[in-house]
This record gives sequence, C-alpha cells and structure tokens, in this order.
Amino acid sequence: MANKQLLLLALIIPVLLGLAWFLKPTATGTATLNPPGTRAITQDEVTSIEKPCSDEHPEWRSAQSIEGVPIAASLACEPDNPFEIAAAVKGTNNIAMATLMQTDLAQDALEMSDDLDNDGDPDIIHIKLEVVELNGFSPDGDYLINTFAIAPGIQPGLWAYAPKSRGMGVKNFNSRIANPLLRAPSPSIRVEQGDRVSITLENTHYLPHTLHLHGVDHPWQNSHGEDNDGAEEHPVFPGTQHTYEIQPRHAGTMLYHCHVQTAQHIMMGLGGLFIVEENRPNNWLQTFNIGAGQVRHPSVAVSQTYNQEYDLVYQSLDKKLSGIIQQANDPRLISQQMSRDYNMTESFENYFLLNGHSFPYTLRDGMIITAENENIKLRVANLQRSAVALHVHGHKVAITAYDGVDQPEGQQLTRDVVDIAPAQRVDLSLRTQDDGLHSYGPGLWMFHDHVPTGTTSDGMEPGGNMAILAYQSLVDGQGMPKMHEDMLGELFSPDYYAKKLPVWRSGDFKQLLGDAGKMPPTYWQIIIFGLLIGLALALLMFIMMATSRKRP
Amino acid sequence: MKKLIIMLALMALAVAHLPATWADMGHHHHMLMDGRGMVMNANSDKLPQDCQALSETVDITIHAGHQHALAFNGKMFAFDKQQWDVKPCAKINITFINDDHIRHQLMIHGLPGYLYPEGMFHLELYGAGELKASLIVPSQKKTYLVHCELPQHMEKGMKAQLKVGGGDGDLPSIPGISAPVKADHYAIDWQQSTWLILLVCIMAGLLLPFIAITFIKLKRKQP
Repeated sequence: MANKQLLLLALIIPVLLGLAWFLKPTATGTATLNPPGTRAITQDEVTSIEKPCSDEHPEWRSAQSIEGVPIAASLACEPDNPFEIAAAVKGTNNIAMATLMQTDLAQDALEMSDDLDNDGDPDIIHIKLEVVELNGFSPDGDYLINTFAIAPGIQPGLWAYAPKSRGMGVKNFNSRIANPLLRAPSPSIRVEQGDRVSITLENTHYLPHTLHLHGVDHPWQNSHGEDNDGAEEHPVFPGTQHTYEIQPRHAGTMLYHCHVQTAQHIMMGLGGLFIVEENRPNNWLQTFNIGAGQVRHPSVAVSQTYNQEYDLVYQSLDKKLSGIIQQANDPRLISQQMSRDYNMTESFENYFLLNGHSFPYTLRDGMIITAENENIKLRVANLQRSAVALHVHGHKVAITAYDGVDQPEGQQLTRDVVDIAPAQRVDLSLRTQDDGLHSYGPGLWMFHDHVPTGTTSDGMEPGGNMAILAYQSLVDGQGMPKMHEDMLGELFSPDYYAKKLPVWRSGDFKQLLGDAGKMPPTYWQIIIFGLLIGLALALLMFIMMATSRKRP
Repeated sequence: MKKLIIMLALMALAVAHLPATWADMGHHHHMLMDGRGMVMNANSDKLPQDCQALSETVDITIHAGHQHALAFNGKMFAFDKQQWDVKPCAKINITFINDDHIRHQLMIHGLPGYLYPEGMFHLELYGAGELKASLIVPSQKKTYLVHCELPQHMEKGMKAQLKVGGGDGDLPSIPGISAPVKADHYAIDWQQSTWLILLVCIMAGLLLPFIAITFIKLKRKQP
C-alpha cells in the first residue's frame, strides 16, 4: 500500500476515537422525564432481624433477696444477674457455693472481712481484676472470638477489666459469645470511705497494663514500697500481677483506668467508674456493678436521698484502632501497629457507647426506668476521647457533684445540657416530678450526648449512645419501650448498620423515600461506542502490519 | 505435696458435705473447687466402653506460663510441651503446674460425653500452683485439643494436642507443630543484594533473546 493511503488511514483513527469519546458509556446518567422507580428490597437482602429483647432471664427482674442481700427490681430487658449482685455485696468468700455457681466469678474474686470500725460492715476488701479482650483474633479461622456486639452486627475489638472469673470465657461450648461477665464497660467498683482496699491486677492479657485510680485518695506507693499510682513506667506484664492499696478518706465518684499507652488503652476500653461511698453503719456495698447501669443494691447514703441510682459510662471507639487486634495475632505486630503505626492525633471516633452498648442495644440495658415523683442519682463518667454534652429530653437535671466533690446546695446548677470533659465525672439528680421544670410529664424521653457524632454508629443514625428515660407505664413486660414495635423491628438489623438499607424503608413513605433504582443502560450508544473502538484498533493493527512488511 | 494432699482432702470433704449443692449445679457435674482452682470431670477409674483394660498408665507434668512462649516467635502464653502421645485406653495422671501469677486452664475437648460431661476434662488454677487429676482415654485413634480457654490464651500460643494411638492428624496453629489457618503477615527482608539479584536477572532476561538470535545466526553461517 502506498504511504499516502496509509497516512489517510492513520488520520481516520483519531476521528473514530473522537466520535467514540462523545458516546462513551458512563456510570451515571441524567434522567429526563422519567427518573427510575424506587428499588424494592428483596427478602434475601435482609439477612436477619434480631429479637429486640431475648428475655433470657425474666426471673432476674423482680425485687429479691439472695444471701440476705436485698436486690431492687430491675425492669430492663437484660437485668443484672442478682446472684452476681449478692456476691458483689457479700464477697465471694462469704456466700454459699450454690450462689457462687450461679455466677462466673472465681472464688477469690472478692474477699471481704474484718469490721474494723465496728459499724456492721466489712472493712478489709480485696478485689481481683483481670484484663480481657473482646471480639479478638483467632488464628484458627475467619471469625472473632469472645464476641461482644455493641449494636446489631457491630463487633469492634475491645478490652475491659473484668472481675476475676472462672471457667469458660465463652457462653457455652457451641458459642463464641463472651460470657456475660466479660463485657464493656469495665465494671463500676464501689468501696466505702475508710475501707482498707487492695486491688490486685492479674494481667491475663498479652500486653502490659496498669490500674490508675484517677481521683481516688491513694498513696503514691503501696505498703511494699512499690508503685501504687499505676503509672506508665510500672507496667504489669502479661502473666504477672500487682496489688494496689488504698484507704480513701474522701468519698465521691472517681475513675480507674489503664495508664500504659494511655490514649490507646483507654480508647480500647480500659477504664471504668470507681466510687467511694460515704462511711455509714451497716453499709454493705455492691462492689461490682457489671456493665454499669442500675445499681440494684445502692449504698446507705444514696438510699436515704434517692429512689434509684444509675452508673452511666460514656465511651467512644475508633474503628481503626479497634481493628488492629482483629487483623494480627502476633503480640509484637499488634504492639507495633497500636503504639507506632497508629497515630492518635489522626484518629476518629466512630462508635459511641453508653454502658458498653450503642443504640438500639442501649434499650436492652441502658434505659433509665422510673415512676413519677422519683429522685434518681446518676453518676456519669466520660471515658470518650471527646467531650460529652449530655441532654435529657423533657427534663432538667441538677449537678450535685463535679469530679467527686459535692457542689454546695445553693450553688448547684440545673441544666438540660451537661458538658463533661474527657475523664470528668458529674453526679446528677434527675427528678421525675411533673412540674414543667424538672420533668414535663411521663414519656419515653431520649437522653443522649448532644455532640452531633454522639448519636451515630460509624455515621449511622440512630445509633451511638442514644438511650431512653422511660416512665414505667410506657415500658412492656420485657423492659422495652411500648408503641415502638415497628421501629424496633427494623433497627435490630445488622444490615441497617452495615448501611445496606435505606433509613425509611417501610410504611407509607417507602416509595417516596426508599432507594432510587438504577437507570437502564443506553444500548445504542454502547453498541456504536464498541464498534468505533474496535474499528480504530483494527486500523491501527493494519497500519502497523503494513509498515513492518515494507521494511527491507 | 503436703498442701496438695490437704487440698484434695478438703475437696473430698466438700463433696461429702455438699451433696445438695453439687446436685444443683446443672452442667457443672463432677466438679471440685476451692480457693485455688478447680477440677472438672476427672476420671481415675471408669473404663471407656470400648476398653477391656488399661493399656498403660502415663504420668504427665504440664507447665503453663508466659515464659514457655519464649520458645516460639510471636506468642505470649504457652505450655512447656505441645504434644503428648499415649496408647489407646491409657490412664493419664496429669500434674498441671501454673508458673504464672494469673489464671490458667488445661482443657481437653472431644472426650466421650458419658464419662466426661460436655466431652471435656478441665483443670483450672487461679494463680501459681499445682493440681493433679487423672483421665482415661478411649481406644479410638484420635487427636484431642488441649488448651487454656481464657480469652486470647489459646490464640496467643497456649494450645497443644494429645494423640491417642498416633492420633488422627494435627490440629491447626499448635506452636512449633502446625501452621495457623489464618496466618499473620510480616515484612520481607529486602537487602541491597536482594535488589541486585533482581536487577541482574531482569538484565539477563533482556539479553536472552539477543543471545539466542546471535547464536542461531552463527549456527546458520557455519555450514
């Protein structure tokens, strides 16, 4: 072929490509008269809807007495195990074997003895804590072990202090779910002012940890002249233990937390409420409040003023940090990734927990359930990275103490948003008298962190630390809010929190607010585009072959 | 030893005095517990249905603790041995020693349920110390899982196997014996020399056709 003809053919190629450019297929298209219809949700898209309340132990809800310990009623879906409460009040050394067997506690988890001030309660207390990992890695398959879901389908890697337990770390032989003692948040711990308290940290975890008694009156060294402040330079290494000793003179709502690689370890869950109760006669305290929440055996001083008491622990998680322990097994890799590769200054908070759960799981054990005309004591701790702006719908609360120091009565503020800086605690008095100020009347009133991220789970609302202050008449027999059956049926869905389902996907508006469908492809355009590209390629090959043949 | 005898005696006493209590325990049958630890489903005299007589009596001492993980890279807790071999119908007298100052367990899974409720033999020490208990294995050729079930203890290395009659294969992720199902990723140690080898090979690969062509041309010219 002559050179001129080849040149002509070569000029056709850009023309073809130019035409193809105008007809190029696109990922999105512009709808003109008829936008696509609403996509129907098929049955196989929805993997499962969980029962809002599994109602595993209805017998635990009623007011009862175990080992002579009066335990208040708890109307919640997941009430605390009353046997554990009895053990936490009497000590695991002072209860019958049959009672202990109803708990997951070790026999030496809590030893109480010696009424030193002869006022009818034990004053020498020995608490043993372990460190557990939840939703951890398994080298034996593609699954997580000792699982603890914070919300439907959400299982971020977590750590917690737990009272020393015994036996299986899972619920039963066929389960990977953590036993109920192993959960977030770390348990609230209560001791009496003036008690001689030893806390032994038995580090069952694979990284070093400590116990720092934040705000609690404690000497800098223990009686052996060893560290008593739980600071970074005195880590308790895996497989070892250390005992911290206190005899607190000041009562109030304090904290305990790990002080090794502090930023990361607190954000992994190693922190909880530590409450020093006022010394009163016959003051048998509920040493552990597993999972925080309602205190079913409040102290003498609290019972004198209040009808109920709740511990509210706010935590936040960074999914990147939490994911580290789920992606590697070698402790050296985890340590490197957590302490050096991960950068806390470039981190986000993705999950927000109230007492270890995000909405809707907060409805199972994070609700405040009240009658009218009650005075409820709330002890609130912020273990998040960011501030909490606690807001209770329909109520204004009085702040009675900051960081474990009582606010004089005349100076107590009554507010509807309470700001709590990281690590701060406030004691609140929540009154349910319908007077237009403290309460606007019975209802299912939400309470939540009003920082906008606080009510989301990885950006999905409703989630985060949203919970409900519920008046008894509006709660059903399983402790769930009445009149919300439809909503509950939809929100207890892992698919919703996996962002697979539209927010409004049922009822009258599912057509108007569901997912828009897709547009059909414009086939004539795709066919012509394909032909043009094919032709251009063929010409290119032809020209190349023709020129190569011409060479001598 | 004295302590142990006292402890065992106390356990026996506890069992004798608390029949109602033990009966209440549901799935916690055959359990002995005190302030230092517990034994579940020990069996020193009941022969499995498929055994006519004991084939042998083996004494095994098992240590548990973080220092035993030093023998393996990338672990934190371990037993001092990772495999025990016994004959079918053997009686095994286990001495379990905890070298750490935290809780450790020795659990054996997959045993016949009529002798070992839930198929499990379980020793647990609440801290440093020692426990003794026996079990009798059936005649079946089988590999039994031996592990500590505290969260992340098996995962971080406290995993072993008991092979009866040679066993029926290895379990995964036993330190020093078998690979994990889901393995960790580590960086490859790329040295200057590694890069150099790669570079030289690329160049050699580039030259290869030219060498071949030259070789063929030379051959053609030869006749």
